[in-house]
Amino acid sequence: MQFSFEFVLETLPALIAAAGVTIRVAAITIALSLFFGTVLTIVRALKIRPVNVAISIYISFIRGTPLLVQIFLAYYALPALGIRLGPVTAGVLAITANNAAFMTEIFRGALASIPPGQIEAAASLGLKPRAIWLKVVLPQLYMRSLPAIVNECTIVIKGTALLAVITVVEVFRTAQQIGSSSFRPFETFVAAGIVFLGLCLIISQFGLWLERRFALRRGT
Amino acid sequence: MIDPQVIIDHWPYFAAGIWMTIQVSLAAIVLGFMIAFAVALLRTSRFRLLRGVASAYVEMLRNVPFIILLFIFFYGLPFSGIRLPEQVAGTIALSFFASAYYAEIIRGAMASVPRGQVEAARAMGFTYGQILRDIIVPQMWKFALPPMAGITTMTVKESSILSTITVAELTYQGIIVQGMTFAPFEVFFAIAALYWIFTAVLVRLFRIAECRVGSAELAAAARSPVASKYLTLEARP
Repeated sequence: MQFSFEFVLETLPALIAAAGVTIRVAAITIALSLFFGTVLTIVRALKIRPVNVAISIYISFIRGTPLLVQIFLAYYALPALGIRLGPVTAGVLAITANNAAFMTEIFRGALASIPPGQIEAAASLGLKPRAIWLKVVLPQLYMRSLPAIVNECTIVIKGTALLAVITVVEVFRTAQQIGSSSFRPFETFVAAGIVFLGLCLIISQFGLWLERRFALRRGT
Repeated sequence: MIDPQVIIDHWPYFAAGIWMTIQVSLAAIVLGFMIAFAVALLRTSRFRLLRGVASAYVEMLRNVPFIILLFIFFYGLPFSGIRLPEQVAGTIALSFFASAYYAEIIRGAMASVPRGQVEAARAMGFTYGQILRDIIVPQMWKFALPPMAGITTMTVKESSILSTITVAELTYQGIIVQGMTFAPFEVFFAIAALYWIFTAVLVRLFRIAECRVGSAELAAAARSPVASKYLTLEARP
């Protein structure tokens, strides 16, 4: 059999349509993991010992185990505890749990780069802890970790491909279906690769644009 | 209820699985690093075309999910008339994937070796090969090892995806045992724990190696007590 470039072009529209699911799942996941990453960072800064130990164990577990196994845990193991989730919900839960841990680690790095003098100035001006977080620390935290956050977005996009394994019909699952019905799996997977390549390149270009846009505020 | 007996009864499956995971991922790490070294050299080449090819290679592998690369590779091989057993095809695909990440690290580490040394060597008549072997490679490790730890554990974790092309590694064995016992909670937690231990051991080995080559320790900046309330996260003892 000859590699058919026309077939790659033919399947692209169907896969781009399926990218809607990928993008939606990724967008929800990124929003949730930014939120939980921020919450975990603030909770960690309260320095309550048992809580911080629990958070470090959680981060270590997430970083030390494959995303695929985490997805299996959410989809197959949670029902054993009486929590039954649909494939999309279980997938969003697994990737969010995964990504929030990495976001927290990114924020830890960004936090260390904020000049301590600013906090002292804010505290001596009488700002309350809430105001210090919201007006001084967090805006700079997001600005400083912008490139890393954008990188995480592409990681989430790529991670959603694994949801095909738990029957979420996104780009990769659609490619598998087209591949097996047309007997041209190679071309279809190449087309799926092109779709992901496009999505990730758009995100990273958008990230570069954001960095330029906020160059002044980022102080670079 | 949680029943650890399931794990104890099926330990040969888990043992075979972790052994296959170790073999596949170590082979991919070594092979991937060798490919990465060549790619890193191409990326610093004098010729624009070679630099372009190398960076296209890296961008392509970094922006496509590994599961898709694996399937492209697995289904593409028969086109070129090559038949390989799954674990060999899977290991090669994983090597290519890892090489794209290692290449960036090696390139950065090579560029971190002080420029003056390379210029001095060139002035003394060293050839390109000699500069590489005697000046750059011996010194690049202290820059390369810390980021390599992360990519190496990533490679081990991505090896779980080889289960989708029926390579009998840890995740695949887990799916088999889960099919026999219908105890997903115990089985997948046992697997997660085994991966956790494996990656923790790898990270520890990297820390030891980093001490040997003297990776620069980032000195924690002395902070004021007021600022440390917000800017540090570790609980005080």
